[in-house]
Amino acid sequence: MKKGVWRKIVFLGGVTAAGFVSAMPVHSQNWASLRESFRNIQSVKAEFLQERHLQILKDPLVSEGRFFYLASGSLRWEYLSPLRSVMLQKGDSVRLYHFSEGAWKQDMTQGVEARRMVLAEMSQWLQGRFEESKNFSYSYSQGPPGRILLSPKEGINRFILAIEIVLSDRPGVIDRVEITEPGGSSMRITFRNVEINASLPSRLFDEP
Amino acid sequence: MNFRKKLKPSLIAVLMLCAGCLSMPETVLVPGAPEDLQSCFVLFPSGPWECVHKIEAVIGEGMSSSLLGITQGDPAERKLHTVLLTPEGFILFEAEQREDTISVLKSVAPFDSPAFARGLMEDVNLLFLPPRGRPSKWGRSADGAVLCQWESPDGYREEITLSTVGRISLRDRHGDLAKEALLMAPFVKGLASQMELRAHQPALYMLRMTLLPGAP
Repeated sequence: MKKGVWRKIVFLGGVTAAGFVSAMPVHSQNWASLRESFRNIQSVKAEFLQERHLQILKDPLVSEGRFFYLASGSLRWEYLSPLRSVMLQKGDSVRLYHFSEGAWKQDMTQGVEARRMVLAEMSQWLQGRFEESKNFSYSYSQGPPGRILLSPKEGINRFILAIEIVLSDRPGVIDRVEITEPGGSSMRITFRNVEINASLPSRLFDEP
Repeated sequence: MNFRKKLKPSLIAVLMLCAGCLSMPETVLVPGAPEDLQSCFVLFPSGPWECVHKIEAVIGEGMSSSLLGITQGDPAERKLHTVLLTPEGFILFEAEQREDTISVLKSVAPFDSPAFARGLMEDVNLLFLPPRGRPSKWGRSADGAVLCQWESPDGYREEITLSTVGRISLRDRHGDLAKEALLMAPFVKGLASQMELRAHQPALYMLRMTLLPGAP
């Protein structure tokens, strides 16, 4: 699959997870202390509600899921409805599965190769190293609420116009991620039941 | 003798190969009454509609992928609008069709070839729009199933069979099966809750589609 699509997919997962990691501040935290707070996050566990707004639909397409993140380099991004699928990242390894006929099935592989390629960049984000991104430039507004705006560079802007991470007033939690695309489409991912530094079993990142 | 021994399996192999190429024999039909004609269209929604499906696509013998499909249609104007998305909600392909004109609005590799667009829209047409015009023949087969056939000018034949499930078959000009779809009850606003499409040519793949309740 074309790199751009999978970049986009991984970016969104990455940005969302990165949003959590960057969301340690209390009110009006400056960028330096925000970055400092990355070091205090070891794990994140959360549920999400994703609303996909498309020109063709009167109402948004709503998906629900959950995600788990370990600062040591593991991510599980999982959709529970309307279809079950999961992306597992552990180190450099990325696997994608979907649930069908009572069993998890590995998804077509061509996308996974491209995902692996962009994981290095995503890892930078997860560590709060936004300035090292080759694809997005960032700006930070202290708020409240605090907002991180990611602006795409040449190439990526064919798919994404802007990504905004809105921080919650609860330290360590983001409220939502809003993604604006060309053509009037958009996506909003709202988080709930966020747990920071919970103990996460490694099997979450090994098995679908 | 030896030659005859060798010839026998060879002949069987050749016969088997030829059998594989044989066209399906014509189904013997008890001709249907004019009032049976409307049964030929019962598998398809009669008015404008829109729906969301979860789709499992299986290519060849096993590689599979999970997708979301959004489709809008208006049978009166033979209009279709379809969007194919990843589970994460990213658009892989979007196209509109008015009569025979297909306009691709968005596509990304490997879904960006004209052949893919033609094939996908052919699938969407097969599943959601009735064939054009009156069937060339309709009636009941020996087992009582309603069967309707349309012949297209290019020699393709579309056949709809109604028994416990709805079956739509598309055969090429040689009578070989190109695509076959099963539409399963219950029907919600004229749309099957489960569909399975198997393509045999030009590529081998299967789509298993589940109508999402309440969507959109």
